[in-house]
Amino acid sequence: MTFDIEVDGAATTVTIEAGGPGRYSVVVDGTRHEVLAERIGELGYSLILGDASGRSRELYVAPGSSSGECLVSFDGRSVPVSVNGRTRRRGRADDGGGAGAQPVVAPMPGRVVRVLVNPGDAVEARQGVVVVEAMKMENELRSPKAGVVRDVSVTPGTSVEAGRVLVVIE
Amino acid sequence: MKILIANRGEIAVRVMRACREMGLPTVAVYSDCDRAARHVQEADQAFHLGPSEAARSYLNIEALIDVARRSGADAVHPGYGFLAENAAFAASCRDAGLTFIGPSPEAISLMGSKTAARGMAIRAGVPVVPGTERPFDAHASDQEILKAADSIGYPLVVKAVAGGGGKGMRVVENAKDLSGAIRTARSEAGAAFGDTSVYLERRLTHPRHIEIQLLGDRFGTIVPCAERECSIQRRHQKVVEESPSIAVDPRLRHAMASAAAAVARTVDYTNAGTIEFLLDTDGSFYFLEMNTRLQVEHPVTEMVTGLDLVQWQIRIARGERLDIDPARALTPGGHAIECRIYAEDPDQNFMPAPGLIRGFRPASGPGIRDDSGVSSGYEVPVYYDSMIAKLVAWDSTRDGAIARMARALAEYQVLGIRTTIPFFVWLMRQPDYREGRYDTTWLDRLMIERRGATFNELDDEEQRLVTIAVAIDAYHRARAGAATTSDGNSPQSSIWQRMARIEALRS
Repeated sequence: MTFDIEVDGAATTVTIEAGGPGRYSVVVDGTRHEVLAERIGELGYSLILGDASGRSRELYVAPGSSSGECLVSFDGRSVPVSVNGRTRRRGRADDGGGAGAQPVVAPMPGRVVRVLVNPGDAVEARQGVVVVEAMKMENELRSPKAGVVRDVSVTPGTSVEAGRVLVVIE
Repeated sequence: MKILIANRGEIAVRVMRACREMGLPTVAVYSDCDRAARHVQEADQAFHLGPSEAARSYLNIEALIDVARRSGADAVHPGYGFLAENAAFAASCRDAGLTFIGPSPEAISLMGSKTAARGMAIRAGVPVVPGTERPFDAHASDQEILKAADSIGYPLVVKAVAGGGGKGMRVVENAKDLSGAIRTARSEAGAAFGDTSVYLERRLTHPRHIEIQLLGDRFGTIVPCAERECSIQRRHQKVVEESPSIAVDPRLRHAMASAAAAVARTVDYTNAGTIEFLLDTDGSFYFLEMNTRLQVEHPVTEMVTGLDLVQWQIRIARGERLDIDPARALTPGGHAIECRIYAEDPDQNFMPAPGLIRGFRPASGPGIRDDSGVSSGYEVPVYYDSMIAKLVAWDSTRDGAIARMARALAEYQVLGIRTTIPFFVWLMRQPDYREGRYDTTWLDRLMIERRGATFNELDDEEQRLVTIAVAIDAYHRARAGAATTSDGNSPQSSIWQRMARIEALRS
């Protein structure tokens, strides 16, 4: 089987074949890795690389809060991974542009406290557009790009679910 | 004594542990979203309080007193937060014939006003940060405030009289920014505390935040403990605490402890409380405020003094005498560090990250203490503070404690949601932290320098391992999906496509 797997923004095509119980042959970036893998509970995998190093690692793959994404826990870190082309929503400081309309979505459930823009307003990249309160904290959500506000679909006081589109920037 | 715990999360669990050790039955209260919460599981009895919004459940005094009556509880532990520093709640308990496990309503109300508390410190002969002695209420003119500001000097801090946790607080660098800062501080304080009064304080440029935990019994005995170092703060919120402080020697420790005890005596303080100080670079210290409750970071004091502060709160409340050795309380045994684990995404500017915990395995082993309030299968709600656990590491030396903390952070598993664990992994590696070179402004400066870089960095090999694990997982899911469906999808993508379709239908 073949999957497109995107870890931390870097996409890779991976081919995997099972070679007997708990044995896998995984080709990543053209390099073949023989791996011993054993399930640990519902989400965990114990991996031992068959490259004679005997390197043993414990990783956990949990379904993420948004569709197609999972959250891999590994040695004190949590990394979002997407499978088969689902692009991550999580913005980085250098995520500047992207053409066309881009939504600003609620990253978590909460309540809209303030709407900082009106339809037709020009906005800069990373300019605050909506403030959502969750867990007793106010969080300013920013525009993903420079552009014009096309649509504002919430008003102060609106309760929102994670993933709800709040504002569209074009 | 049967104790109702008027709180939730890790602190409710912490109090119940003390009760169980003392053989005392416990009563939990819960809101709609907390029916299956850990604190409900740990209690002997549990009663529904109301809807999820805190104002209609954990802050509902009438409902709490009613549960106490129905459950047969005769004492109430408020934990921290919620109603812990609400004098009206302490008074309501007293009026209902319940023992409030904390100080008197009078002490809570007196020390709850920051300007009144400053007055008490001055009366006790303890230095305070130079500032205005009287609060400015809503009627005070800008001109009056400007004049006071000039006599204090810039930079200064505008603070809400009823403030706390960084709310209603603004740093002002020069006179032209003062009016604006006062307006925002007032509006924040009005919304958060229902009181718009503010006062001004000089801003120390590189202070450490050092605090003294103390206990007071009903017979006038006050016992101060070795200090806690709480200078690691993100936007005025403590994130890491330790005891003792690398900046405090025995002479300074005794001076601060005596000052703290003197302030507590002026208000006939009983039960557990904490006096917060700012420590300047020249070794002088200033009274900041008093917290009239158990604090989040109390475990680091417990680890180095051997005291169980919650058990002592209960014993003091039922009239026992403090019979601990004051010298022992002031002599830290080893070193303890606490990290506050929040359901927040450090890679998204610490945005709250509530959600379903799909797996939970706290760290353990030598020198490790986990005070958590969640469990696997629990959905962290959006309604309350996002702290889910406190991880505490102890060793005989500070270096040893840091090494243990780093080891424990790597062991700690919270699956399915983002937490601040990766941030602490990074923090424990910082040379300035390891060498104890920091003040209350250090972390915020460092965060600006990082410019939003991820805390979850992987090297090439680690990235490959993650890719392999996810590929094996996707392979299993695809096989499972192919075995159970016949909708004609190619096996390698069916489960992901179906998940996406279900998600799309929901939104």
